[in-house]
Amino acid sequence: MEVKILSARFHLKNSNTLKVAKKHGAYKTLDKLFATAPEDVIDEVKRSGLRGRGGAGFPAGVKWGFLPKNTGKPVYLAVNSDESEPATFKDRYILVKDPHLLIEGIIICAYAIGCHDTYIYIRGEYTTQVKVLQAAIDEAYAAGYLGEKVAGQDYRLDVTVHRGAGAYVCGEETALLESIEGKKGQPRSKPPFPAVAGLYGCPTIINNVQTIASLPFILDKGADAYKAYGTEKSPGTHLFGISGHVEKPGMYELPLGLPLLEVINTVAGGVWKGRKLKGIIPGGSSTPVLLPEEAADATLDYESMAAHKTMFGSGGIVVLDETVDIVQLVKNLIDFYHHESCGQCTPCREGLGWMLKIIKKILRREGTMDDVLLLRELCDNIEMKTVCVLSAACTMPVRSYLDKFRHEFEAYVADAATAQACQ
Amino acid sequence: MSDRSHLIATGKPFQFDAERDAMFERLVVRYPTRESMILPSLWLVQEQEGWVSQEAIAYIADRIGTFASKVFEAATFYTMYHLRPMGRYHICICRTLSCWLRGKQEIVDYLRGELGLAPGEISEDGRFSLEEVECLGHCGTAPVVQINGEFYENMDVDKLKSLLATLV
Amino acid sequence: MADKITLFVNGVEVEVESGKNLIDAVAAAGIEIPHLCYHPALGADGNCRMCLVGIEDGRPPLVPACKTPAQAGMKVLLDAAHIKKIQHDVMEFELINHPIDCPICDQAGECKLQDYYMTYHGQPSRMTVPQVQKSKKLDFGCGVVHDQERCVTCGRCVRFCRQITKTGELGIVNRSDQARVTIFPGRPLNNRYALNVVDLCPVGAMTSRDFRFQQRVWFLKKSPGICHGCSKGCNIVIDHHREKYADDRIYRFRPRLNLQVNGYFICDEGRLSYRRENEGRLTVARIGGQPAAVADALAACRDELQRAQKVVVLLSPSCSLEQMLAAREWAARHGAILSGFSDGYLKPGDGDGYLIQDDKSANRAGLLLLGIDCRRETFLAALAEAQLLINCDNELERSFPLEELQQLLMGIRTILATSHDSPCAATADIAVPVASFSEYDGAVVNCDGILQCFRKAVGKNEPLPDMADFIAALDGTAADRAGLFTALAALIPALAGQSADTVPAQGLKLNENEAAHVSA
Repeated sequence: MEVKILSARFHLKNSNTLKVAKKHGAYKTLDKLFATAPEDVIDEVKRSGLRGRGGAGFPAGVKWGFLPKNTGKPVYLAVNSDESEPATFKDRYILVKDPHLLIEGIIICAYAIGCHDTYIYIRGEYTTQVKVLQAAIDEAYAAGYLGEKVAGQDYRLDVTVHRGAGAYVCGEETALLESIEGKKGQPRSKPPFPAVAGLYGCPTIINNVQTIASLPFILDKGADAYKAYGTEKSPGTHLFGISGHVEKPGMYELPLGLPLLEVINTVAGGVWKGRKLKGIIPGGSSTPVLLPEEAADATLDYESMAAHKTMFGSGGIVVLDETVDIVQLVKNLIDFYHHESCGQCTPCREGLGWMLKIIKKILRREGTMDDVLLLRELCDNIEMKTVCVLSAACTMPVRSYLDKFRHEFEAYVADAATAQACQ
Repeated sequence: MSDRSHLIATGKPFQFDAERDAMFERLVVRYPTRESMILPSLWLVQEQEGWVSQEAIAYIADRIGTFASKVFEAATFYTMYHLRPMGRYHICICRTLSCWLRGKQEIVDYLRGELGLAPGEISEDGRFSLEEVECLGHCGTAPVVQINGEFYENMDVDKLKSLLATLV
Repeated sequence: MADKITLFVNGVEVEVESGKNLIDAVAAAGIEIPHLCYHPALGADGNCRMCLVGIEDGRPPLVPACKTPAQAGMKVLLDAAHIKKIQHDVMEFELINHPIDCPICDQAGECKLQDYYMTYHGQPSRMTVPQVQKSKKLDFGCGVVHDQERCVTCGRCVRFCRQITKTGELGIVNRSDQARVTIFPGRPLNNRYALNVVDLCPVGAMTSRDFRFQQRVWFLKKSPGICHGCSKGCNIVIDHHREKYADDRIYRFRPRLNLQVNGYFICDEGRLSYRRENEGRLTVARIGGQPAAVADALAACRDELQRAQKVVVLLSPSCSLEQMLAAREWAARHGAILSGFSDGYLKPGDGDGYLIQDDKSANRAGLLLLGIDCRRETFLAALAEAQLLINCDNELERSFPLEELQQLLMGIRTILATSHDSPCAATADIAVPVASFSEYDGAVVNCDGILQCFRKAVGKNEPLPDMADFIAALDGTAADRAGLFTALAALIPALAGQSADTVPAQGLKLNENEAAHVSA
């Protein structure tokens, strides 16, 4: 089932070095790139149907098309390497195993959109990864792939790595821009959209690492070759991170559209320890959980996930076995999103803390059914009332657990009632 | 998150050492505004001192030419900046979903039992500090522990035991 | 005038000004969109989420009104169930960690949380888990005291210090529900407008050390006024109250919106100048340094006038136009020399190009408008000849050191009509107490040539005479104050046909050549 488009060089020894990467094809698209008009590059990417791999799945070429022309302002590219969504660890492989693929992608994107200054926003936790990335960038500068004359062409491109410092919300594109500008990572209201007024108020494109890393293949082999993988509306391949209770957790490159359960059972070795499947989180912790019966006909693409009232998200699949205490899991989730709330919007800032305290109360077996119902109501009261979707990233999955595993919450509450009665 | 607004003053003025000073000057030209240097500068301070003091924040603000309140905001918003001295070995244990599913709690319990070290604490001899952190992006090799920036994947109590023995 | 456009609120057609956001546009039509973080002087931030409104057929269907420009044909939903629910829910989130300590909170009575709770929420608390605890009674400097638990982190105070004063002392540190407003240690509020954050704060998180615990705001009578602290003439609200068995007393000045003059703010010095209206006042007349009845003092003044041939009348540059005109007419009738010399009111370099002016007087432009000589040399020359100086509240000690002043006035009889006690009041042959600016009606012209009228705000138990009354009393008559304004209106073309009641609230901008015209 696995394919090797993005991960083609991952297995090579010292694949992160320019020498090895170049020997195996890195930067070979640049001649073709500079012989192609920028708008033709954009068209090719549009034709490929490449969708943003950060989670939202917005078509990359269409996004680039939103850039206003001739504003007299510089155009910036910000590469989103914040990868903070729990259960997501795909971009890390690109950063460490093939950073030159990313740099080549950056050159392609920058040329297409007319950008001369690119910032790679990498999460602060990627301490060792940032060193590998920076070393590759330094090599690329030394080899003339970056700097005043990219690949000998009259095209300047500077790439600067900007480290985050522990804030999930900076994966949100406008929070990421704020963070590069030196501010707290608090998302901006849209409009204006970054393509119009982004970094330093200038037109800006923000793309995920994997999105950018997909570009060399598309330019090299063409949109049709890319579309040969995946489904019609979700073309291409994706780096899936499979974690949780499976025998062979890890990162796998797969075409989009494969059956979810088959991937878990064959690629990831099935549920570990011979246990039964309890649920699947399909695309990072913010996506609503699927019960085994719901997952039965789900495929790994944007459309199928939407049809199952969940989301494709970041391709971070988490498998839950029968032993998982869902109430504990929900506490773990709310804890995360509360900790990461930027503190800007009232519903998220105040509401997630309230939810956390309620779930803790239920776990202490001091909760009542009213608390369970309040928790469910708060999901509705918080969701979509905020500048960004961080709060929804919490309430959407929590609502799914409350609805699909209600009995587990009721059991905690019943225990509390029994304890009360015994006193 | 806990309240991070109580800064510690060393009583001594802070300044970058020569290496960080040069690094600052190299980086600052990469950005159209000096305020973009707030995060990189806080990292430079932490590299140099291991933590970020009140004086260091004031220094960064003045060096950049911005309000101390802005640097203060960033230093407290981004939780990887240590606002107090940490142990010689700073142990971060991922507490989030995949690591939790695959037994991070056993590791935390072991550290608490064996070293008497609870999350948020520093051992009395200053050797270790422990922090439970959010997802470290190593979910496929969970549970993961990060010590002074190095990742240790597929961790369990036995592996941690032998690892800690090497950290003196 | 901005263009008018038509949009719909709850299906009803409303005409609003274009170029405004939805909050301001429909507010002008009397429709409230609740908001905490938005302030017209600070722009939209969009963090409180209280102003979310529905847009029918809109994409997206839900928008923050503060960030949404009013557009023709827009169909705004405010009273729809889902919008009311959002307002209700946001209020609940604002309140779950709020201490609800209204009984001891100075903001009570003018608190947006209280008002919005009554309008948009009104339910008992469902908070059964412990609240977030933060710090209280933080001294932020400049007399600002902060309570982090009451704070709704709307960030108005932070934006004020970054955008308006550009001093940036405040920040919101941490994130999540630990976010809180604070100062960087050792760098407290240090700007001359800091107390505006108290007014800006929609809740009781920012209090003024000066005002806190002094008075419940619902007892305060809110009268409009004009600050007399400098020549800017900032518009203020005079909050005053007469406690039982006590005198009417001012508790605070607050800024009053006038986009043509001061905008939304005032300086701290001006704000705290209310104290001067309460304190240090001359309340009894003096003859030869001994307390006397005002009537007796006025009679003594007339006696002095009988004896004096050469009289100089000196005006304070903070007198109202009416008072100045009364003095001008009196001086003309009696052949007295009139001076407005007041160099001591100028503090060169103190102005900041924003609101604070070098000139610490309220109506120097009025002196010029009425053609009153303000030159030092003519004043000194007149004084050298004078037998009697009638000083209309000009604080000469501002212009001369006390010893020099004593030398100057040697051998000259002095009558001082003043609102405040001072060394001069102690040494004057006759001192007559007069009303201060919060206690009379008048008009002043500010440094930008804007004429503004103000009304008597404070009614003392024993009212003191207006300066115009004092001047009239020198002739043994009563002042015709309405007549004075009519006379002014006849003199100043811009005032033609106006009465004190018809002068626009924003003030009247006088022409460049107005002064020449009047004094001619």
